[in-house]
This record gives sequence, structure tokens and C-alpha cells, in this order.
Amino acid sequence: MSEIVVAARDLTRDYRTGRSRVRALRGVSIAVPDGDFLAVTGPSGSGKSTLLHLLGGVDTPTSGEVVFLGRDLAGMSVEERAALRLEQVGLVFQRFHLLPMLTALENVELPLAAARVPRKLRRARAAAVLERVALADRLHHRPGELSGGQCQRVAIARALANEPALVLADEPTGELDRATSRQVLALFQSLNADGTTLVVATHDLELAAGAKRMIEVVDGRTIP
Amino acid sequence: MLALNSIREFRTRPLRTLLTLAGVAVTTAMLADMLMLGRGITRSFGELLESRGYELRLTPKGTLPFDTEATVPGFATLRDSVESVAGVERVAPVLAASVTVETSDDSGRSVEALALGMDSGDQGLYRLTEGETPRPGEVLTDADVRGSLGVEPGSAVRLRPAGATGAWGRRTTARVSGTGEFVFASRGDLQVVMRLDDLQALSSQEDRVSFAMIRIGEGFEPDSVRAAILARNDRVEIVTLAGISERLDARLSYFRQTALILATVSLVVATLLVGTLTAVSVSERLGLIAALRAVGLSRRRIVGGLAAESVVLCSIGGAIGVALSVVVAGYLESILSDFPGLPVAVRFFVVSADSLVTAFALLLVSGTVAGLIPALNATRLEVASMLHKEAP
Ligand SMILES: Nc1ncnc2c1ncn2[C@@H]1O[C@H](COP(=O)(O)OP(=O)(O)OP(=O)(O)O)[C@@H](O)[C@H]1O
Ligand SMILES: [Mg+2]
Repeated sequence: MSEIVVAARDLTRDYRTGRSRVRALRGVSIAVPDGDFLAVTGPSGSGKSTLLHLLGGVDTPTSGEVVFLGRDLAGMSVEERAALRLEQVGLVFQRFHLLPMLTALENVELPLAAARVPRKLRRARAAAVLERVALADRLHHRPGELSGGQCQRVAIARALANEPALVLADEPTGELDRATSRQVLALFQSLNADGTTLVVATHDLELAAGAKRMIEVVDGRTIP
Repeated sequence: MLALNSIREFRTRPLRTLLTLAGVAVTTAMLADMLMLGRGITRSFGELLESRGYELRLTPKGTLPFDTEATVPGFATLRDSVESVAGVERVAPVLAASVTVETSDDSGRSVEALALGMDSGDQGLYRLTEGETPRPGEVLTDADVRGSLGVEPGSAVRLRPAGATGAWGRRTTARVSGTGEFVFASRGDLQVVMRLDDLQALSSQEDRVSFAMIRIGEGFEPDSVRAAILARNDRVEIVTLAGISERLDARLSYFRQTALILATVSLVVATLLVGTLTAVSVSERLGLIAALRAVGLSRRRIVGGLAAESVVLCSIGGAIGVALSVVVAGYLESILSDFPGLPVAVRFFVVSADSLVTAFALLLVSGTVAGLIPALNATRLEVASMLHKEAP
């Protein structure tokens, strides 16, 4: 736990919907060191997703700054941030968001292909990552032929494919049953033990309890 | 890989895919056919005229050859005057008149035919397929006349002006000299050829012709020879090949405008079809698109993957459409060639590689653009907002 992967200082984020304005975050500061496993909890609508999006450069803050691996995200264009995410941020969504007609292997290859990893190498790497999430026997299955837990493991493998500095997971167990959620937690813990830095937004207290660290967001503010 | 996904998804929605393919194919076929129609008529007619070697046509004022029954009187004098113009090498007059041809035995078979009176076969109005060009007292028939009457080269037939009945009208007996194919005949026309003198006598049109073809000498400009002839004769019209093409063009502009409008409509329909389909499948996948952008795929990659769908649909649908257009062109050709007053040798649909390629390319370009627009729109949205909207 030495280097800081991402540090956020005094983040606010306003959303404008029609005439009204919503302040989703009201001054959040946070630092995620290398090797961290941080759970972000809090009630619905409190700003967890917003925080994750800002940390990963998916969204830009209304004020405050995000420094990712020493680079201030404020100075980067949309496509520069996309390139940074592709290489350095792994994203896991509640609804998996896998391409339905691609196999598990092809889905994991996707970000590698986007990062221009040569075909042979990306095949091998995708297969290795799928093996890491215990799906070595499902390489050629499509999402429709996999269970929810297996789909989420494919999505986690996709997030890991480019060996990112940070994995952001937003409600990763939101669509899964208890037993499957536990498998996902176990996988996160095992990945973290191998050095993966994780930030997970969740309502799932069991998942949060399994993290190294936990913060709670309430009404756009963190409470320690 | 996104493209691969889009293409594989065709199989999960076979009905939608097939309907779109059918729509694209039909509109491409329509587009290609209309392009062929637009260009075909003038092109084939131009080729027909240019292969003949007579650069000018002399006609009664205000008409085209075969246009009306009007004739030019006093041709012998006219001919002398035309032939004396510098540059005129040869004048080949033609008289057209309706005649009744009947067998000379008592079988009583008879047909009505258009008789062309001319003194040589080199004007290119017909192609000899059997026998010889007619000499005085002879007649050459087309295959239809020959078939209907059951005559052969060497048989005798009786001729009289069409409409003349009883024993009082003029009539003559002629020997069948051969069979020919008539280039400018409309479908269903029956035609025969006789010597000019014979037909003038038979139809009581001594010294009259319907038109004459004029060959000009080397080194002379058709336009200046035309002007020189007109300067001496104001009873006639002289048209150049270019002029005929132009007039024909003007007359066929109805076809070309219709063809142009229909072609445009086809293209618009295809574009809307592909655009709608892409818009639907893009909006079905907004969540996925947001996620992939969050993952870090570039806009270009995502747009490319989404547009691939429309490119593939247009390529396959377009290829089927191009094949279909050739079949449809053949069918429409058979209907349209019965259009009255146009020679059968004029083809409405000239199936040409460039029409097919143009149709295909137009479709592909507009289909791709139609597919690109919804894809571009989708990737222009803010990723975080899209994820928020798609969140459960
Ligand atoms: N793109 C957006 N446009 C408008 N309002 C937004 C947008 N994103 C978030 N918000 C609003 O900001 C607030 C925080 O939203 P956020 O999604 O971060 O909450 P959350 O803690 O992730 O909630 P949940 O637990 O339901 O996922 C909410 O009031 C939400 O409606
Ligand atoms: Mg959320």
C-alpha cells in the first residue's frame, strides 16, 4: 500500500435535468492506494455511482480534481480519458453489459483488441484471465448460455484483461443471488490478494464487509 | 469485434433481417432498373442510328422519319437540287405506305403490312436474312409476313394498297425475293420492301417519298451540308443524327424524368429503411454502448461496429437487388417494347455494368450514411448520463 492509484479532492458534481439541478456529490475527498479493496456503501441516490464514474474518468466533476496515477484528469480530452480507461481502469457493471453474440473469450478479447494487442497474444491473454476467474471450461459459451454469476465473472475478466491499475465495480452483485454474490466476493478478495486494486459500490453489506476498507456516502458526502 | 457481434445478431432476429434485406433488395433493383431505363433508350437508339453511315435525313417539314404519313412531293426535282449541294454524296429515298399482301393462289390468305419503297438495301433499315434484295417486280418480306402467308423466296404474292377493295384499285403481282429483319419496326408490325418505283405506282404516290437518307462526303460537316441544303429548299426538314438523337431525347424525357424520380424515391426509401433499422438497434443497445464507452472503446470503434450492420445489410441486400434488377429489366423490357411507335430494336433497359455498379454504390453510400447517423448520435451522448439512465 504505497503508491496512490487515484486521489480525489473536494469533488462536487451537479446534474442538470430540465430546470432543476441535482447536486449528486458535495465535496468528496478520497485516496485509493495501490492494493486497496474499498467498498463504497450508502443509500440509493446518495452518489456512489457518481463517485465511481469520477474516479475512473468516465465523468468529469463540476469542481474539485481527480489525479489518476499522477495525471490530472481535468486536462484530458474525452478520447484521452477513454484511452486511459481502456488501459488503466477495469469496469464492472450491475448488468454485465456483455456482447450477447460474442463468446466469453471474444468478450474478454474486446478491450484487448481495442488496445491493439495482436490477435494471438490477446487470445492467450483472454484465455488466461478467464482461467483466473474459473471459467476455463466456458471460453466458447455465449452470455446467453451462462448463468448470471458466470456472466459477471466474464465481465470481471474483461475488466482485468488489460491489467488495469484500478477496477471499479458498480453494484456487481445487484443481479445475483446470495450464493453467487459470495463467489464474486471471494473472487474479488482473491484478485485483491494478487495485487488488484478494487473500488466497489454496493448495497450488499456482506460484500462491503468483505472489503479491506469501507466508506459510506450519504447525500453526496462521505462519512468516515 | 463489435461488428462481429452486430452481424451475428442478424441470426437472432431473422424476420427483421429478412424483411430489411428484402426491402433493400427491392429498392436496389428499382434503382438499378430506373438507371438503366434512364440511360438505355437513348443509348441503344444512338447506336442504332450511328451504325448506318447516312449522316442526314430529309423529311417533310416538322416530322421525323416514320413519324407521320406525310410525304415529300416533287421528289425528282428536289433530288437534283439536293444532289447539287457540295458535300452530298448520295441520296437514298424511301417511301412508306400500307399495303395488303395476299397469296397468289386461291387460299385467300392476306395480311396488311407497311411497305418500304427503296432502291438499295444499304440504308440499314433492314437486314437481309435470306435471299436477295428486291429487283423491280419483286418484294422482300419479314418473317411474320412470310409465316402468315406461307410463302417462300420465289413464290408470287399479290399486292394492293391497304384499304383498296374490289377489282378497281391498283394491284400488282410480285415475286418474293427474300426475307429480312426490320430494325426500326415496332413490335407486331409487318413489313415488306419493294423498289421505290413499284411502291410509288402501287400507292399512287408518283414522285413522292416519305423521307430520304443523305450520305455526305468525307471532310464535310453534317451541319454545314444541312444548312446548304436548307438554303435551297424550304419545303423540307433536314436533320442530323445528333438532331434525331436530340429530338428523340426530348420525346423520351418523360421516361427519363419518371425514371429519375423513381430512382430517387427508391434511394430515399432504402436510406430510410436502413436508417430506421439502425436507429432501432442502436436504441436497443444504448446500455451496452454506454458500457463499452465507459470501458474505454473509442467512439470511432463503436460507430464502426454499429455501422457495420448497415453496411452488411446494404451489401447483401444490394447484391441481391442488382441480380433482381437484371431479371426485372428483362420482364419490363418485354412489356415496354410493345410501346407503340418505337422500333423494337430500341431497348429500354440496356443492362450495363456501370448502371449496376452505380446503383450498388449509391445504395451502399446512402445506406452507410443512414447507418452512421444513429450510431454517431448515440456515441455523442455523455457516457455517465447514459449509464445513469440505463441503471436499473
Ligand atoms: N446523469 C445524471 N443526470 C441527472 N441526475 C443524475 C445523473 N446521474 C446521477 N444523477 C442523480 O444524482 C444523484 C446520485 O446518483 P447516483 O447514481 O450517483 O446514486 P447511487 O448512490 O449510485 O444510487 P444507487 O444506489 O441507486 O445506484 C441521484 O439523485 C441521481 O438521480
Ligand atoms: Mg448507483
